[in-house]
Amino acid sequence: MADVDSAVKEAVVEALALDDDEVTPDSTLMDDLGAESIDLLDILFRIEKSTGVKIEASDLGDYIQGGVPDEEFSDENEVITAKGAEQLKKIMPQTDPSELEGSLKAEEVITLFTVQNLTEMVKARADGAGG
Amino acid sequence: MPADELRVRVGVDVVGVERLARLVRGDERRQATLFTARELDYCRGKRRRFEHLAARFAAKEAVLKAFGTGISQRMRWTDVEVVNERSGRPRIVLDGAVAKFAERHGLRDLDVSLTHTEDLALAQAVTMWEQGEPCAST
Repeated sequence: MADVDSAVKEAVVEALALDDDEVTPDSTLMDDLGAESIDLLDILFRIEKSTGVKIEASDLGDYIQGGVPDEEFSDENEVITAKGAEQLKKIMPQTDPSELEGSLKAEEVITLFTVQNLTEMVKARADGAGG
Repeated sequence: MPADELRVRVGVDVVGVERLARLVRGDERRQATLFTARELDYCRGKRRRFEHLAARFAAKEAVLKAFGTGISQRMRWTDVEVVNERSGRPRIVLDGAVAKFAERHGLRDLDVSLTHTEDLALAQAVTMWEQGEPCAST
């Protein structure tokens, strides 16, 4: 299997037609790099081709939420709860739970997902968690 | 409810036909991730099949943009389905997490228009919501 770090970066660079130095581990896929849904699909398909790790776009949500039920992850207004923010910290260590709790909407979580977060997800899947 | 008590939100999306074709051509699993069986059936016999599929993908994106979410966790592309009236006019059917979102936020009406050429497919969605129901902005 290809080196995961390289494979993810290459997939992002090629899918988004970016220069190599424009993509850093800390870049958020959607906000920083401007990925839209079809780009996300393209990235995931390229990763599958180079690493053999299959990830559906809809898997991202399950991965991020880590088994925390919807009603515990966000409140009735779909704003992230303290438990949700703690879960996000595990998957996206760059986030600060105190800043997210009570302000971030559940549907906005994906905008914080970085190249490094995706790399870690691919590695986790490759290690046998259902890749 | 009078129209002046409704909030209008629009969404638009454009998809490269060849790019979409490259992503799903010959791969039934990928096609099933993005499109419902009805959508695939509708497009199957079309001479310009990938133009029609690209327009449907654009419609899904346009609808989700009008919702203010884009594709997000919990939502699946098949939650937004394009079906065609006998006249050929497209109509949107919502399912799953997207349908729940629409219900929670007070969606009152939804319309979509599609167009495509050999290279590009474009969709515009118009939604009407009950006032005061917040839609996150993209």
